Amino acid sequence: MTSPADADLEVVHARRPRPRRGVSLRDAGPPVALVVVFGIFAALSPGFRTLSNVQNVLDAAAVLTVVTCGITFVLMMGSIDLSAPGIMGASAIAVALLVANNRNDNDYGLLGVVLAVLLGAGLGCLSGLALVTLKVPSFMTTLGISAVGLGVATLMFAGVQPNVSDRMLAGLAVERFLGLAHLTWIAFACVLVGWLVQRYSRLGRYAFAIGGAEEVLALSGVRVAPYKVAVFTMAGAFYGLAGVMVTSQLGAGLVQAGRGYDFSAIAAAVVGGTLLIGGRGGILHSAVGVLLVTVLTNGLVQVGVSPYWQGGVQGLIVVAAVAAAVIPQRRRNQVTK
Amino acid sequence: MKFTSRHTAAAIGVTLAAATLTGCTEEVGGGGPAAAAGACDPADITLVGQVRNESNPYEAAWLDGGDTFAEQVGLTQQRLTYDGDSTRQQEQISQLLAGDTECLVMNVLPNGDSDTPPIVEGAEEAGAYLVTQWNKPADLNVTDYDHWLSHITYDGVESGRQIGDALAEAIGGSGGVIALQGVLDTGAAKDRFAGFEESLAANPEVELLDDQTANFSRAEALEVTKTLLTKHGEDIEGIWAANDDMALGALEALEQAGRTDVAVVGIDAVPDALTAIEEGTMTATVSSDGPWQGGIGLAIGYCVATGELAVEDIADEDRAWFAEQFLIDQDNVADFVSPEITESDFACDNLFSRSQGAMS
Repeated sequence: MTSPADADLEVVHARRPRPRRGVSLRDAGPPVALVVVFGIFAALSPGFRTLSNVQNVLDAAAVLTVVTCGITFVLMMGSIDLSAPGIMGASAIAVALLVANNRNDNDYGLLGVVLAVLLGAGLGCLSGLALVTLKVPSFMTTLGISAVGLGVATLMFAGVQPNVSDRMLAGLAVERFLGLAHLTWIAFACVLVGWLVQRYSRLGRYAFAIGGAEEVLALSGVRVAPYKVAVFTMAGAFYGLAGVMVTSQLGAGLVQAGRGYDFSAIAAAVVGGTLLIGGRGGILHSAVGVLLVTVLTNGLVQVGVSPYWQGGVQGLIVVAAVAAAVIPQRRRNQVTK
Repeated sequence: MKFTSRHTAAAIGVTLAAATLTGCTEEVGGGGPAAAAGACDPADITLVGQVRNESNPYEAAWLDGGDTFAEQVGLTQQRLTYDGDSTRQQEQISQLLAGDTECLVMNVLPNGDSDTPPIVEGAEEAGAYLVTQWNKPADLNVTDYDHWLSHITYDGVESGRQIGDALAEAIGGSGGVIALQGVLDTGAAKDRFAGFEESLAANPEVELLDDQTANFSRAEALEVTKTLLTKHGEDIEGIWAANDDMALGALEALEQAGRTDVAVVGIDAVPDALTAIEEGTMTATVSSDGPWQGGIGLAIGYCVATGELAVEDIADEDRAWFAEQFLIDQDNVADFVSPEITESDFACDNLFSRSQGAMS
């Protein structure tokens, strides 16, 4: 870019702003992709650009947002987490059985929701413990915990689907505040909490550092293991909450409440610019990724793409969007695995 | 040390082998001729029901129906589930067939079309009595086998048309509807939608505004329906869903949008759908009668195993056939909420009474 002579002359002045510009450019990719995709759909479909559809997109993104909040911290550490389907299934059935329902006489209301989230946190904690004590890779521990969660859910399911009659829980999906369902506000709150944790707490900053250079952190005297367990526990709590939200939406506890959310969330986080190798990205990136994926799903239906084409078209656009988003991050000697 | 342990191991191995061999000989001597004549002692018969999972109300009801039949003949049914995993289904089947197969009766729901041939071949070789339901490749003929007694399935075109007609009637014969399709590459989804298209042709005033897939899933149906509701708004008067789970998801979406004027139809008759029909929020569904399916497969195998029915006496059109299905709406829903199994349905001379004709 600059000639060697210039660089020599302006070493101090030229170097300083550059990393900053690099960061902002790198972060700009996914939001730009979101705006472009949104603009294209808005131009193509009058139904897409209505206020009610924008509300619909935000409502539809709520559950995936919460799951992605959890998974983002794990990805930042450079680990992977496939436990969402199991933990969500277990918490979905648990909450359906704890609030007023057609299976038993429980009516714990909000306490039931808290217990279901704690169940999620407990299962997440197990993944973390298995990772740090048994040194099993996170890919396998979380896959195992997912199976455990599904097993717990199936046992509690016992052949009869629990339907929720609790007003409070069912109301979360139906009642609206400022045009958005209460669940959507819960998702906003999760993003805010996630962002605060990531920005201001030791847990969030260490998660980044673990992903960036775990050995360095360990050699400088930080005990890494407790933070890893804490991150998985927090992720589990987010999945537990997501399971509760699905139950609220469907009015029933389903074992399959979380099916497919593991990969959708990982995809959303990566689309938003969180790297699978860790150390980069964050909650806000992931939130943008979730919106991008949701806008895509919604827009293809609004535009009227045939269902036979949608899967393929969606995949192509996601790959294109990620490719466009990572252009600023591309370095000549970067290795992609 | 080494030698001793090796010797011990060898000795144990030989002893085991000998024991197994004796066991086999005894079985062949005792059970062989009896089975060839198709005359197992009823008490020696093993009944096995295998479905995908018990967390699906329909398949749980299927296994319950199998239990009811087993009780009826003084036996118990072995309940097997394979979580929709084809490999696991094959493993379970091979384990069963590695045991005592002389008087084994299996009522199996193959995971997909391609899972049926290995199960059939295995049963044929081992001499176990097999009835399959729902899935088989079109070119695999039941009549080519002696131990694959029957294959039962349902005419998806017919069910798709039945609920399509019920939907058209519910919206007064004219208006806009949307369709939620199943997993697009499955036969069930294709047939059901083809039936709906037939119904649309017969009701020209009914307009299909949009068709989308929600992959047979309640959660996906919720999202897709919400999107279609914002797209078409008040134009939507009815929703056709290829199964009840999607219909229930659509009902949630309608509730969240505050719409109560939309007719919804589905297929499968899961308990929640029946409740919704009772309450009047859902219009119609179609039942294949899961408990009957769980019982009938075992009953056919039982009757052949005991010799009350000979394989040669089963008519060719009863070897692969469409069973009767029932349209459920508000008028008759009460009859299906607590389904009763009639003992006579499983009598050896009444096994094929629900046949709607041979599979085409």
